[in-house]
Amino acid sequence: MSTHVEHAEPGIFRKYFWSTDHKMIAMQYLFTGMAMALIGGYFAYVFRMQLGFPNQYVPGYGIVTPGRYNALVTMHGSIMIFWVAMPVLIAAFGNFLIPLMVGCDDMAFPRINRLSYQIFLLSVLVLLSSFLVKGGPFGGAWTAYPPLSAVGSYNLTPAGATLWLVAVALEFVAFLLGGINFTVTTMNSRAPGMKMYDIPLVIWMIVLASIIFMCSAGPLIAGAVMLLFDQTMSTGFFDPTRGGDPLLWQHLFWFFGHPEVYVVLLPAMGIVAEIIAVFARKKIFGYKTVLYTTWAVGFLSFVVWAHHQFVAGIDPRMANIFSITTLLISVPITEMVFLYIATLYGGSIHLDTPMLWALGFIAEFMVGGVTGIFLGSSGTDIYLHDTYFVIAHFHYTFVPIAIIAVYGGLTFWYPKMFGRMLNETLGKIHFWGTVIPFNVIFIPLFITGTAGDQRRVYSYALFAEQSRPALQHLRLTSTIALLVMLSFQLIFIFNFFWSLRNGKSAGANPWRSATLEWTVPSPPPHGNFAVMPTVYRGPYEYGLPGGADDYVPQNVPDQAFGDQNS
Amino acid sequence: MLERYLTAASTYAHWIDYQFLLIAVLVGFWLIVAEGMMFWLIFKFRARDGRATQYITGEETHLKRWITIPHILVILCDIVIIVPAILVWYNIKQVMPPADETVRVIGQQWAWSFQQAGPDGVMDTADDIRTVGELHVKVNTTYHFELMSRDVVHSFAVPSFRLKQDALPGRTISGWFRPNRVGSYDIQCTQMCGIGHGLMAGRIIVETPQDHAAWLLHNSTPAVAGQQALPSPSTVGMDGLATMAEVRR
Amino acid sequence: MHKFQKSALYRIASRSLRLPLALVIGGLALSGCRMGATDAATRGQEVFETCVPCHNSDGSGNAAVGAPNIAGMKAWYVEREVDKFRAGVRGMHFNDVEGMRMRPMVLSLASEEDVKAVAHYVETLPPVPHGSSFPGDPKAGAALYATCGACHGDTGAGNQDLGAPRIAGVDDWYLATELRKFRSGVRGTNPKDREGRLMRPMARTLANEDAIRNVVAYVETLKP
Repeated sequence: MSTHVEHAEPGIFRKYFWSTDHKMIAMQYLFTGMAMALIGGYFAYVFRMQLGFPNQYVPGYGIVTPGRYNALVTMHGSIMIFWVAMPVLIAAFGNFLIPLMVGCDDMAFPRINRLSYQIFLLSVLVLLSSFLVKGGPFGGAWTAYPPLSAVGSYNLTPAGATLWLVAVALEFVAFLLGGINFTVTTMNSRAPGMKMYDIPLVIWMIVLASIIFMCSAGPLIAGAVMLLFDQTMSTGFFDPTRGGDPLLWQHLFWFFGHPEVYVVLLPAMGIVAEIIAVFARKKIFGYKTVLYTTWAVGFLSFVVWAHHQFVAGIDPRMANIFSITTLLISVPITEMVFLYIATLYGGSIHLDTPMLWALGFIAEFMVGGVTGIFLGSSGTDIYLHDTYFVIAHFHYTFVPIAIIAVYGGLTFWYPKMFGRMLNETLGKIHFWGTVIPFNVIFIPLFITGTAGDQRRVYSYALFAEQSRPALQHLRLTSTIALLVMLSFQLIFIFNFFWSLRNGKSAGANPWRSATLEWTVPSPPPHGNFAVMPTVYRGPYEYGLPGGADDYVPQNVPDQAFGDQNS
Repeated sequence: MLERYLTAASTYAHWIDYQFLLIAVLVGFWLIVAEGMMFWLIFKFRARDGRATQYITGEETHLKRWITIPHILVILCDIVIIVPAILVWYNIKQVMPPADETVRVIGQQWAWSFQQAGPDGVMDTADDIRTVGELHVKVNTTYHFELMSRDVVHSFAVPSFRLKQDALPGRTISGWFRPNRVGSYDIQCTQMCGIGHGLMAGRIIVETPQDHAAWLLHNSTPAVAGQQALPSPSTVGMDGLATMAEVRR
Repeated sequence: MHKFQKSALYRIASRSLRLPLALVIGGLALSGCRMGATDAATRGQEVFETCVPCHNSDGSGNAAVGAPNIAGMKAWYVEREVDKFRAGVRGMHFNDVEGMRMRPMVLSLASEEDVKAVAHYVETLPPVPHGSSFPGDPKAGAALYATCGACHGDTGAGNQDLGAPRIAGVDDWYLATELRKFRSGVRGTNPKDREGRLMRPMARTLANEDAIRNVVAYVETLKP
């Protein structure tokens, strides 16, 4: 805090674009991520329209040619994972919450933090610029398997492929910088008295996610450099005619790609843990067990990657090992979910909007989890690999992560971010208007996948078994549900901006939460804490017997409360 | 269970279908239990005036049981799933029953082409039958396939056979199938292979032995075979396969 | 301090989403105005997007992927060949690598009207000049061209009545590739390919690779 004295009012540019304040950087990440989500959602709208109404003119886009369809699905996947889930879940929530929840005034390296966002913004601009080059954006799927991604005459988008790759690499640099910051801040800048097991789960999860990301990104960055050389300098790292191997990329990609799932899952799990504790007025059931399962998940996530490649031409014996590890990872994840459900026991559950989102996350994520078993077991994956079953499965994990948990986090911390409450009625309408159509979108896709619909196909007209009318009806159902879901998002956008001005004033702690960020004014001032806090207890002291209130904030000394929890 | 949605037309389709059913039953049970438990708790412990929250840390042994027991049961279920999964995998992908016939399957942007022995029963002779987009096979016959790619990664998928295998440039990947139902089925490419990926369709036609013999005879008449087998000077590449790189030169 | 921070966050929030919001709403409003192509010319241009990845938006083609220059090609010829691809009369030979890339793409055209529309659009594209990609002797080629001229005309302008397309101004590498395909039977062997079956014996009169290069070099000197 000593470094942060009262400054003269900085200029617009310094304040919004050159700030080193973790809260401003969080807002930059949040709004960039939300803007990218609009783009990614728009792409989903366009290609779902094509699948629902094949070869029809899509309002707001035009006709969807096979080449454009590939670019749309590729960009939808890349944007939603790299430019929405990552910046919002890790960078926005991480930046906003870590200093506030561990009780310090800013990140350990504020200028690295600023650099991180600037590189991220650059990666966004590079990606968007690929829409303007000849051939258009890359259309070789977000997994970018070579030789398709490596050779311009195969993918027909040579410039777009290179720009995509550069954008992904830049985005990784941004998150490596951010990850260093998150880890160092949490390890070194905690308020006095905050022991390892007093750190709120969401912070733990973001830090562990950052560590997983830092450990897994290396191989992919190496692969990206090789692919870039293949694209631009005609090297042959992935070209079998010159001694290269296309499978090498698949290993490097999925060595990163599978941990990446947990990189975005863990922060979402953390957000949900915070919300459940507050709105059930309960201590998290088995805080330490949750942490141990997180570590187990983090470790196991590094040894499951080849389950994406069962039929990719790897040694078939490898599938057995990866099948076992994949089913093994279901154990800690299941346990984590059980612990969350157990937390509800004996609570006093208030179904405010954030809690609806958190419970919705658990309910929907479980569907995503169990359907993963079908794909992780090698025998059934032969049939289900690269079908819509896979699409439905990972949207049942990614939508809860990147949409439902993010809405949970936003509605929960909105009062802290902007000092006002969101409208509760609109929030509930938005919740039901999102979650119900979400299921109507993807349950039909489980069925079409089971019936053999393969992925990334712009029209099934040439496939007799897939162009059965019954399947087309399911696709149409899914498309219409998507339109409904997208239109309900307008309610959120309206609520978000309307409440900035017209919401009820929030006060410091509207949810009666025990963690440190709620002890400061909303929104928190520059430097966060007027008096730097000292921590006396864990983050989830709710429902303590005999207390005046049903919770004790982390920074209230024991004697002030009667020492029930020592 | 899967057959409700798509015909099963090969011998191992049912193995995969049973495995699917087994998983569906087990995870369906867990899903219903867990979701039911969650909604029941939400209902039971909804906020009501005058009811205090219980203070439970979750570290107590008698409470941990509620997690430990399901935990062990989940591991048991995992084992029940993984053993047959590996058996199915082993029998489809790791071992190959002796072949009655062999076909060569070649993927390229954006078509499947096939090569099989003509009436002489020997591959790579003048009477070989080469087809594009259509593979004719005999019912109840074990086929080995040799899968190749001329350019990028493709994936040879016959949903009705529950067959899927990626084709990699520079490699020949072997596999097998044994069709057991006469009919005509889709061939898909299930790996993104460029702008024509969604158009890379083929048909596999399973015929009775008589029909197949007639087809063989018709397509291997010297005139047709002679023309088709002639390598084109512009397009002969490695293994008699033209690659795009070759064509460009 | 509290107030300043609040306004800062608020302002960045409202500002950064105002523009995208306006764009989305504006885009939706505009899109409502037009629900599809109204006339064949517009439809042709729309459908031509399918061809753009290989043949380029000006129709100039891309030798690296075996896509010829089609700018200004006669509609009757484009339509006829596209129909052959669609029917599996062309692009179905085991060694016709480019044909197998072309065939699925034309199969994506939804209807016969779309084929007509795109064929007419191709004819309206202004011809794009191109360089030569290999050497040849036009003088030696001139004598060989006599066979071709019978159908394709002395100036290589083609003859619709005989089903012979314009060949003057066509990429030399494309002509050579197709001549090789005709010679080896990769093209022109399908019983339903009437014109191809006429062309095949003609191409076989070219004795060797030099003959192909020379006659193509001569065609390159013709002015359409």
